[in-house]
Amino acid sequence: MSHTKLYTAIYVVLFAFATLQAVVEYAGFLEQSYWLAFWAIIVLSLIKAVIVAAYYQHLRWEPRAVSYLVVGGVVAAVALTAAASFSIT
Amino acid sequence: MSELPPKSSIKRWFLTTNHKDIGVLYLLTALFFLVFGGLLALLFRVELLSPAADFLGEGGYNQAVSAHGLLMVFWFISPFAFGFANYVVPLQIGADDLAFPRLNALSYWFYLFSGLLFGVSFFQGQTFSGGWTMYAPLNTPTYLPGEALGATTVVLALIMFVTAVTLGSVNFLTTMYRMRAEGLRMRDLPLFSISINLTVWMMLFAFAALLAALMILTSDHILGTHYFAYEIGGEGITQGANNPGASLLWAHLFWFFGHPEVYIVFFPALGIMAECFQTFTGRRLVGRKWFIIAMVLVALQSFIVWMHHMFLTGINLQIKTVFMATTIGISLPFDLMVFSLIYTMIKGRIRFTTPFLFSLGALIVFILGGITGVFLGAVVLDYQFRGTYWVVAHFHYVMVGGATALFGGLYYWYPKITGKMYDEFLGKIHFGVYMIGFNLLYFPMFLAWETPRRVFDYGDFATTIALGELGTYVIPYEVWHNASTLGAAILGASFLIMFYNLFVSYWRGEDVGDNPWAYATSAEWAVSSPPPLENFHGTPSYASGKLEFLDDEEVARRSSGSSGGGHAGHGAAATDGGTSTDGGAIAQAGPEAALATGTDTAGEHGHDGHPDHASLWPFIISVAGFVLFLGLSGIRTGGTFYTSLTLVGAVGVFGSFVGMAREPFHSPEPLLAERWPYGSVEKMKLGMWTFLASDIVLFGAFIGSYVFVRVAYGWEEWHHLIPEAHVTMPGLINTYLLLTSSFAVVLAMVAAEKQSRKGVLLSLGATFALGVGFLINKAMEWDHLFNLHGSEAFPHGWDLTTNLASSTFYLTTGLHGAHVAIGLIMVAYMFTRAWNGAYMGDEKPIEYFGLYWHLVDIVWLFLFPLFYIL
Repeated sequence: MSHTKLYTAIYVVLFAFATLQAVVEYAGFLEQSYWLAFWAIIVLSLIKAVIVAAYYQHLRWEPRAVSYLVVGGVVAAVALTAAASFSIT
Repeated sequence: MSELPPKSSIKRWFLTTNHKDIGVLYLLTALFFLVFGGLLALLFRVELLSPAADFLGEGGYNQAVSAHGLLMVFWFISPFAFGFANYVVPLQIGADDLAFPRLNALSYWFYLFSGLLFGVSFFQGQTFSGGWTMYAPLNTPTYLPGEALGATTVVLALIMFVTAVTLGSVNFLTTMYRMRAEGLRMRDLPLFSISINLTVWMMLFAFAALLAALMILTSDHILGTHYFAYEIGGEGITQGANNPGASLLWAHLFWFFGHPEVYIVFFPALGIMAECFQTFTGRRLVGRKWFIIAMVLVALQSFIVWMHHMFLTGINLQIKTVFMATTIGISLPFDLMVFSLIYTMIKGRIRFTTPFLFSLGALIVFILGGITGVFLGAVVLDYQFRGTYWVVAHFHYVMVGGATALFGGLYYWYPKITGKMYDEFLGKIHFGVYMIGFNLLYFPMFLAWETPRRVFDYGDFATTIALGELGTYVIPYEVWHNASTLGAAILGASFLIMFYNLFVSYWRGEDVGDNPWAYATSAEWAVSSPPPLENFHGTPSYASGKLEFLDDEEVARRSSGSSGGGHAGHGAAATDGGTSTDGGAIAQAGPEAALATGTDTAGEHGHDGHPDHASLWPFIISVAGFVLFLGLSGIRTGGTFYTSLTLVGAVGVFGSFVGMAREPFHSPEPLLAERWPYGSVEKMKLGMWTFLASDIVLFGAFIGSYVFVRVAYGWEEWHHLIPEAHVTMPGLINTYLLLTSSFAVVLAMVAAEKQSRKGVLLSLGATFALGVGFLINKAMEWDHLFNLHGSEAFPHGWDLTTNLASSTFYLTTGLHGAHVAIGLIMVAYMFTRAWNGAYMGDEKPIEYFGLYWHLVDIVWLFLFPLFYIL
């Protein structure tokens, strides 16, 4: 697959996933089972983010150390959020 | 690019981008702030001679204590260490400068002007008075005297300072991973450079969290959001009700930065101690490998201990227990490092020079500071000690312990920087007086430990000392505090000796050669004192196992087959900006010579493969930034003066950034360098990725703050704070727009690869149009929500100040919108360049921009569900 075709296919997938997230809400899944729908929507966002980083930002073709750099930032942010939120439960 | 005048010219110091000049500027400026913060300390120590506010008054005392802490922690210690880092690290790793010299100058000027902004706050009624940790809600306008004008200025000064730090972190990391001499592995770096490497890694992530905290606080000050306010009005949360997460949110954000900050301050000191111990014992550090591993461990662990500063808050017992374990765990690698230094002394032959004495003194006081800190890591003991002078004493034994090593570093590298030797006798006198003053100042604080922190009234407490048959003595706290004040005066006076010594030695000191210290082996000692402008005559290489300098031919031979821009070797390096010498003869056609005569015959940008060293734009940008932030400080309280300053500053910042972008400036990568683990990632790309990693933490901290206050409030109850009119569709449309714009950027890159000018223009044009569409859609949505006058629940509309949900929504998506706007400026600039024929066959600039733009896209992919669906 040429790069242009690959980028186009990825765009279509991202577009579809974004639509799917909205559909989850419009279809009333949040009212039926909030936390199940919550995690479904978050996982869809995670998948989209990984796809954009891997292909549009070319992380897939960069040395692994660049991915570690990015993951370092993400881990720091998630650790802060998770631990802080847990501390008040 | 401008001409770089000689060092004797004042003009040079405004123009220079050379790392050694910038290092000297950092050192001098940091010493100025040491005096500034030190005088404030002397003032409140006089206040503490008696337990009453009879000298500075209550407000004056609070301001002096707060400003002292902020100035010493932010504007003195770290910048002082980074003066050495700027000067020494490129020399130690075999580079001729930092990767981005103008960015380095920009870091310095931002730092200086942020400090000046802090100084201005004293003249705006009152400066910040809520303590150096700036705990909420005491950091909000409601709890700050007057109109909090000076306090707002201090918060903005901190933002400017953190910007300088972030730029510096990106620069140092890129330099150390792209410009090491051939054969120089990371593990083989001199210990000072290793300590700086780990320090900038911590800075990159920790300061991003602080930046988020400060930006949110600024919003509370200027825009009226409610993150850190306890009592807020409006719908959803009724008047007088609590914002349950307010003060804890600040504590989490601040200490997530604050604990790594302890090591950010201490690691450079540790690096200096290691260098001095090696040099002055004539022995390689015992257990060097384990010393390095221990430092790496501490750097990682520093991010998982922050809640031990919060044991007295309402966080749950489980998390306190976890953080007690991690905190005690972090003392273990430090034990290893301390024993390594002690064994190095035992195994070596010590020469008691001034730098060694200060390093040894630092080790001794750090041991005391470290041991007394372990008490605070235990939950039960912390309940007793937190908020007392025990913490003050421990903290100063650690932090000023670090500063002690930095003064050792000043004596150690003074001959390298100036070419002159200081007076050894006066150096030792300085050390003696310093240690007497230090311990007389801080040790009595342990004895008067029940004194409450930050409070001038220590009442009639007394220390009871039972000496068996000799009797029992009751010593009032006033005695200890008076001893401390005397110690402060002695400590302060010791610096008069240092300043006298260094000043006189600069003019009358004995000339030193390349290396005045036997057994000093790092590369800075292999060049003249002071070193040449471009550091080395020839290209440094460690490929043979020892330092050697390669000529241009050898560099070309070794680098043949490898790609990358740059110059083949270094040629003749100038000792100063004014002339370029080569073995005593004036070098012909050197870049400085060409500049001095005003001739420009050396290629596209006025150079002949040589790097540039001068630009006025960093200074101009910083002046404009100063004006902008000063204007912003008063924009809430109104007045045309501050509004005008804001407008002038904003225009100035924009214009000067454009000016710098258009300035031809040549800073090539070396052809021959060790680049593990980023071998194939060119320096611009690595710089961009490093910046983005910091930006991820910034956005992460914003999103984390939203999650935290929502969890504190009640995740699903939160929906009551949001109007019905806040629907999914605007967010979905914006998601489509951003995704499509990201797609357009990759198409622009493909078009550039194919050398299709039309394709590049169309794609970049589409990116711009879609980004503008995103902002217009957002503006329409915001306008609609601001004006919900028909709403029963929100009769005054739903704006920034309405409730917690509106504050978090507007601020977080606003930060994202600001990123989009900045991206659009970049796209517009690139579109103009593409119109003029740029990027054909050179898609890299588009790719670098794309990295930024796609991150903005990724962030939105999380903001959309969090703020529009869930």
